[in-house]
Amino acid sequence: MYGLVDATSFYASAEKVFDPSIRNKPVVVLTNNDGCICAVCPIAKKLGIPKFIPYFQIKDLLHKHGVVIRSSNYELYADLSERMMNVISRYGDNQHIYSIDESFLYFDNYQNVITNWYEYGHQIRTAIWQETRLPVGVGFGITATLAKAANHASKKLSGFDGVAVIDTIERAAPILQRMKTSEVWGIGSQIAKKLAMQNIHTALELAKQDPKAIRQQFSVVTERTVKELNGISCLSWDEVKAPKQQIFSTRSFGQRISDHSVLHAALSCHASIVAKKLRQQASQVKKLMVFASSSPHDDYYYKQAIVYPFAIPTDNTSQLAQAVSWVLPQIYQSGVNFYRCGVGAIELASEHFQQRDLFDVDNSNPALMRCFDGINKRYGSGAINIARAGQTEKWAMRRHFLSPQYTTNWRDIPKISC
Amino acid sequence: MNVIPIYIEAGISGFESPAAEYKELGLSLDQLLIRHPNATFIGQASGVSMQGVGIFDGDLLIVDRALTARNGDVIVANYNGCFVCKIIDKHQARLLSASKHHKPVTISPDDEFQLEGVVTRSIRLHHPAPELKACMA
Repeated sequence: MYGLVDATSFYASAEKVFDPSIRNKPVVVLTNNDGCICAVCPIAKKLGIPKFIPYFQIKDLLHKHGVVIRSSNYELYADLSERMMNVISRYGDNQHIYSIDESFLYFDNYQNVITNWYEYGHQIRTAIWQETRLPVGVGFGITATLAKAANHASKKLSGFDGVAVIDTIERAAPILQRMKTSEVWGIGSQIAKKLAMQNIHTALELAKQDPKAIRQQFSVVTERTVKELNGISCLSWDEVKAPKQQIFSTRSFGQRISDHSVLHAALSCHASIVAKKLRQQASQVKKLMVFASSSPHDDYYYKQAIVYPFAIPTDNTSQLAQAVSWVLPQIYQSGVNFYRCGVGAIELASEHFQQRDLFDVDNSNPALMRCFDGINKRYGSGAINIARAGQTEKWAMRRHFLSPQYTTNWRDIPKISC
Repeated sequence: MNVIPIYIEAGISGFESPAAEYKELGLSLDQLLIRHPNATFIGQASGVSMQGVGIFDGDLLIVDRALTARNGDVIVANYNGCFVCKIIDKHQARLLSASKHHKPVTISPDDEFQLEGVVTRSIRLHHPAPELKACMA
């Protein structure tokens, strides 16, 4: 049995944990640079506030309903996420943290230990709510894809109270017929469009397709999804846990950038973030993409992306930053007002299986990187960084509606009236 | 002849400390003060109504959400959108202060009320802590 625990509009819910004055108010959270709405709490959802829409477009609507607006407070979310994941880990011996707010659980040979999955799901929910004040949905399924579907049902479909269980294939159909294909795990919007052209709209209709025909039209990945919807496990636990295939760090600027050294600093900072993420999942980069562009709405739209191949895969921050410095002359063009830039590790290698080079010396220096990460973990992210990433704040994130860092900064701990 | 295999120490490194084998990690206040790390948060008291139980203005409060409050516990609650620290009177649904000058507050059905956690420890800062300066202002 697979389980998936996922917080309900995590960012918006996290904002309510230490601010009781907004518990019963509509709350939305904005993305980096306060650009778009990325989380809408259930109360705001009822008011019809949409997600993924630029903030400036619905400023008036938000104001009209008295919606509380927050910038993304990543320090707070990271801490609450860790607490939530720790609570979840008590409920299963195989846990895989899938994203900041979702965690898979895998139960091997538990049929005699846990007899009532529905009740077990409620135990998990209650514990997380009591200990962290975060609301979650819990889904159980006989495959990972069905657990995802059950989780969707637990939060989004009427008639469910935060827990849904697909412990037999008969129980899958009533849920799948109420889900769109695009809501199925692994079905992207492109595939959903193509399916719709063949009159396949619901997850149940997709489940009834011949897996082989699906494979011919799409891929082996989509074929597996169809099998998984039918209760045939195709993704092993190890595959569910597979590390990310690509890692990107990218952002649009708070203000336009035309200065060479500022662009250099921003790209170096992205390189540093990518290197850190690589180390976290024990991957190394083989090919690094560095890119920058002006806005597509500009009269003169300029964009450039350069791929830098590493002779020896690396996860070393300074080597990634060095690569940025090498390709920058091909990217920078004076007179361009850069709007967006980023760095992406587009081809990865595992740290554990490596082809050594006979002539090239490996300079990745893992001991230095361990020390680097250790210092940042202890004294706060950014305590130590490559000098090139600089102190320039111009391109840093705009966060006008930032809440306090209640759990990570002494200055911000909650006030309690006596 | 009996040989005792002890390597000769070069003078610069000196003798190994006789206490080396007994070295352990230092005492951790977290370990002593926090039972449920995932369910615990730290807040700062503001006000004088709880002085009778030794909680003064500016004290740190360690609040444990994993515990179920018993009658008479010092608790933190969300009372009408504010975090308050009071003594819970479960039988009469009241919030009690530990001070003669503050009357009990009865929780009515119209109030917004949620129990947030139990205050398990409070900490007095007899010298000011610079880290907390912004809060004390």
